Amino acid sequence: MLLKLAWRNLWRNKLRTSIVLGAMVFGLVGVTLMIGFMNGMMDNMISNTVNWQTSHLQVHKKGYSADPEIHKTIESSRGLELLLDKTAQIKVWTSRHLAQGMIASARSTRGITINGIDLQKEALITPLAQNIYDGVWLDDKGRNPILVSKKIAQRLKLRAGSKVVLTFTDKNGDVSGAAFRVRGLFETPSSAFDEMNVFVRKADLQLLSGIEGDHEIALLVNDIKQLESVKEKVRGAMAQSNSVQNWEELQPMLAAMSASMASSNIIILVIFVLAMGFGIVNILLMSVFERTCEFGVLMAVGMQKHKILQLILLESTFLGLVGATLGLLLSLAALSILNVTGISLTAMADGLSAMGLDTLLYPQVPASDFAVIFITVVLASFLAGLYPARQILKQEPVQAMSEKH
Amino acid sequence: MSIKLEQLCKIYNADTDFPVHAVNHLDLEIKQGEFVAVMGPSGSGKTTLLNMLGGIDTPTSGKVLIDGNNILQLHDKQLIAFRRDNIGFIFQDYSLLPVLTALENVEFVMQLQGHSEQECRKRATDLLIRVGLAEHLHKRPAKLSGGQQQRVAVARALAPSPKFVMADEPTANLDAKSTAELLDIMQQLNEQEGTTFIFSTHDPRVISRAKRVIVFEDGLKKEDTVQTEVSQ
Repeated sequence: MLLKLAWRNLWRNKLRTSIVLGAMVFGLVGVTLMIGFMNGMMDNMISNTVNWQTSHLQVHKKGYSADPEIHKTIESSRGLELLLDKTAQIKVWTSRHLAQGMIASARSTRGITINGIDLQKEALITPLAQNIYDGVWLDDKGRNPILVSKKIAQRLKLRAGSKVVLTFTDKNGDVSGAAFRVRGLFETPSSAFDEMNVFVRKADLQLLSGIEGDHEIALLVNDIKQLESVKEKVRGAMAQSNSVQNWEELQPMLAAMSASMASSNIIILVIFVLAMGFGIVNILLMSVFERTCEFGVLMAVGMQKHKILQLILLESTFLGLVGATLGLLLSLAALSILNVTGISLTAMADGLSAMGLDTLLYPQVPASDFAVIFITVVLASFLAGLYPARQILKQEPVQAMSEKH
Repeated sequence: MSIKLEQLCKIYNADTDFPVHAVNHLDLEIKQGEFVAVMGPSGSGKTTLLNMLGGIDTPTSGKVLIDGNNILQLHDKQLIAFRRDNIGFIFQDYSLLPVLTALENVEFVMQLQGHSEQECRKRATDLLIRVGLAEHLHKRPAKLSGGQQQRVAVARALAPSPKFVMADEPTANLDAKSTAELLDIMQQLNEQEGTTFIFSTHDPRVISRAKRVIVFEDGLKKEDTVQTEVSQ
């Protein structure tokens, strides 16, 4: 009977309850979409970084990342490569020969990282080969082909077929260089990456640098949950002078942003829940105060105070349950639509590119976030009933019955 | 079972320069099975007296003894349980729960006593049939007339099988026909089941039916008479 009474009391003033529920539902949809958008943005930033730049793990010679000198190649890389080939948890791996240098056209010069790549493996580990906009992907034909980004091409006034000169310091510390012909232009989601990288065949670069080894091994694992075990396996197989880092260690800023995302989502949720909680307290105060006389009658006819407390808390909890359910269902529907259409942010393309983001974002809210939002809203609604209940319970029956509204 | 009041006082605004003695050193005894009307002008203290008799208001001083036990010494929880099991209330404005049907309103108080759903349903239905509402069991109060609502209130007051029923001006909002029907029902219940009815009223129709009439004025008992000739 108490459940029935609470449920019917909730709908006594349909307009008022509907207005509160409306506020809860729209607030929840807003919060859920906001969280989804933030999660989607962060996931996009991470996946772009992993897919285009860092892969899951990278091996370098210790100290190379801080001071990328050309002679700091990975030691005993042959044994490591054999292990990488044999490890089933590794999806794909590649090795790169890198050089810090300059690219010069007839118009301008820029500082860049020259990536000497294994053509077949690089095409598997990054989406570079599928994102050539002018010209074609590198192949074995021709002398010194090079891929430059659209950004560099714009700055240096290049197009497919243009000639550029690469210069860098070779193993003897002398300036070495050669002419390359632009085979194609690429574009990644990160303008910062695009401005700093060019790609050539590894053999061409090794010939010019006079160094046989590689500076970087990058790999992707099949299952991200196995990343740490693969990392330990790689660490165990390589020389002590090498280091292995996961994407979070390679991009600490991104990892920190990702870690703080959970906190910012909680802050958004807390602000919403507090605002909603005060709204519910307000509505319940109105609702119970206009029924003060009725509560007095209930006490007079023998309803114990804890039962009255239960009744008011049930009403507030029902309000939370209905609001949270409707709000999350509507959020789910909105997210389903946005997961098909995506959220287009082409107007902010330049800014997003600087952050390594795509212009079409897909909001993501994991089931666990839905559960947290639901529980938090219901719990807050339950707690919001305590204050109005206290105001009623401290009255004596006759005092409550004399309150006429 | 009897109710005995000893030197009962209720003073409103006691701390001010204008204290109001709603009940002033009252001694009174009401025995089980009585049909008592407490009459007096508005503001004479009738309702305050009934509230203290029913244990929903606390006197400033004095005792409310029920079978020799002072109910004012009961803890809050014990007092609520005492009211639930021994006292039925009928209010001037009916005070039914508007979201429950007539049947549910009556069942509800029995459920507070811990009776099974079946028991509650059976007794509530019987009581409502007895007060002439067989056709209206599933109607909410808003769909019932004032007289019908007050009958539901009577059934609700009687549902927990109380020893005493306190009725605060129960006919004040009723027409002559409804008043007569309601009084018939209550008189019948008093005679057949021995339920004690205590009314506060200034309705002559109620007073003419009462076996005992207490005249109350300015918080004092002015008259206390047993009527030998009672209207039917």
